[in-house]
Amino acid sequence: MNPQYWEDIEIGARRELGTYTFGEDEIIAFAKKYDPQIFHLDPQAARQTVFGGLIASGWHTVAVWMKLAIAGRAQEKQEDRGVLRAGVSPGFEGLRWLKPVRPGMTLTYSSEVTAKVESRSRPQWGLVMSRNEARDESGALVMSFIGKGFVQRRPK
Amino acid sequence: MNGQARYFEDFSVGQKLAFGHYEVTREEIVEFAREFDPQPHHLDDEAGARSMLGGLAASGWHICAMAMRMCCDALFVPGAARGGAGVEDCRWLKPVKPGDVLRMEVEILELRAHPRRPVGFVTMRWDLFNQREQVARIVTTPLFATRGGA
Repeated sequence: MNPQYWEDIEIGARRELGTYTFGEDEIIAFAKKYDPQIFHLDPQAARQTVFGGLIASGWHTVAVWMKLAIAGRAQEKQEDRGVLRAGVSPGFEGLRWLKPVRPGMTLTYSSEVTAKVESRSRPQWGLVMSRNEARDESGALVMSFIGKGFVQRRPK
Repeated sequence: MNGQARYFEDFSVGQKLAFGHYEVTREEIVEFAREFDPQPHHLDDEAGARSMLGGLAASGWHICAMAMRMCCDALFVPGAARGGAGVEDCRWLKPVKPGDVLRMEVEILELRAHPRRPVGFVTMRWDLFNQREQVARIVTTPLFATRGGA
């Protein structure tokens, strides 16, 4: 069974979240809405920039981490393997966009628990910190951040 | 400071700028959540009401994306600055809900010229306000700016 409550979570526990291939159309669609810098928007004009071609918005790269994390939880629920009683997140730290993400690239995402902290203000909840990553086909780190999320405490 | 083209030399510590006007709709909150963060509190009123958010509210990643859009329109697209290589620290302090109107206030905390290349790092605090004058999100992070005049 998977951990359900904060108490069940082990530091060092690692989840493979799967892969995602970024298409040119969706890179541009995301950029049009949220990050209309030329190197995210226009494949021709992007060649003249420091990136030498179209690249995905960093916010797009990290939003896909969330997408895969939630998809993983949904899968576990469907398979009745126990679902983490996760709440909202108060924020994150140390987000790094290390390599450009170009159309057709496939990233592999993961999440590893790094710390657990009790919540003084919310005794029914505990905080879990995790190091979250995306790597390219060669295994090179493309994106990483330390996520923080509230998880329900086991009822006493 | 205003929304005009800006180089590293245009920034100074303590400078502040305010910009942006983003009207948040239910449709956009749900659309973003369906694509990237389909948790019940981002999709459904009742689930939102039962959660810590106290009602249907935007994904934190959506909040960052909306803030990025305001920064692009005011700073990154017209000017010499561009988005950085990351975010040092982000805190989601208040939920962002349908009908909220968001704006940005930015303060420059530190300036550091690159020792060799014609760029500099500008560390800024990026506060996202709602129409109730609450700070809904704080980001502290450096961005690159091109050095001008060379």
